[in-house]
Amino acid sequence: MSDDTQHDARTDGGTGIVPPDDDTPTWSERKSRRAGLPRLTYEYFERARREDQDLRQESTYVERDVLAFPTWPHELIRNLALTSFFVGMLLLLSATLPPHIGDPANPSSTPSIILPDWYLYWSFGLLKLNDLNPAISLLGEQKLMADRTFGVLANVVVVGAISVVPFLNKGSARRPVEQPFWAAIGMGGVTFALTLSLLSIKNLMPMDVHLLFDLTFLAPIVIGCLTYAVLKTMREGYMYDLNRRYYRLRPPK
Amino acid sequence: MADEFMKGFGLFSIASFLWLISASWYRTPSFESNRQLISPPPAEPGTVFDSVGIFLGDLMFWTALVGAFTFWVIIPAGRQARNAMVVDE
Repeated sequence: MSDDTQHDARTDGGTGIVPPDDDTPTWSERKSRRAGLPRLTYEYFERARREDQDLRQESTYVERDVLAFPTWPHELIRNLALTSFFVGMLLLLSATLPPHIGDPANPSSTPSIILPDWYLYWSFGLLKLNDLNPAISLLGEQKLMADRTFGVLANVVVVGAISVVPFLNKGSARRPVEQPFWAAIGMGGVTFALTLSLLSIKNLMPMDVHLLFDLTFLAPIVIGCLTYAVLKTMREGYMYDLNRRYYRLRPPK
Repeated sequence: MADEFMKGFGLFSIASFLWLISASWYRTPSFESNRQLISPPPAEPGTVFDSVGIFLGDLMFWTALVGAFTFWVIIPAGRQARNAMVVDE
């Protein structure tokens, strides 16, 4: 063990979940938790603490002193609980919301409204940016390119912006509070996808089309600023020290 | 504070989930209509179970709204007001 680890004996980030070695519970404290859920919870954390301690003692890796949880049972039991929850949700919803099965599609008639699948609505919305296509005065107020060309170029721009993001930000933050700016960019992007999807079905939307068009571009900015403000405020919160510690503990690139 | 948030959020999500189920049965004429979940329920409920379902749906709707409002606004505001009065002593 190096001198560093001896000076800094608390390795749990100050959360108290994994107590340091001189703070382990006494036998009377252990015996007092003997029934039901408190017992199970206690055993869970006690075993996690114990395994963490053993791993730490065996480890020769000094740089990183949080060694995570083992896959079995900790990760798998958590995943099983989440899986059961969502399977139960699916069963409940399919039993209580029985979907009405419509008439079979008629291949000889074209529907009046043609839409892509819902997950492509954002791209479909980018084809409806006619109002943004600039008219050049030198060309006698003619549009530089056809609206459909403009829509395809808008797709190129958006996909290009998404492709550039991983090169600008390496994504080393584990939680949004660590990098509020990039989290705000992400939330703005998600909102933009949503509002573009709504724009793509503007003939089904029960609101003014021009207002919808303005909201398509304003709402992402508003949501992004809101996210930035909330995350900046959350940095004062109780988990930020732990997050920063995780961030520091990451092995150097 | 986090606890109050979670209570309000739990009430909101569970009650609105139950409202969703009731509204999809009784306030959705068709899953292809443009007015799903908000159409008026049938004026003459067929059985007593239908009227109970409609009533529970309305109850859950207001539980979601009032529950979230209580735990997110009224209780924190009451605490703030009480603390503000205590400090002045």
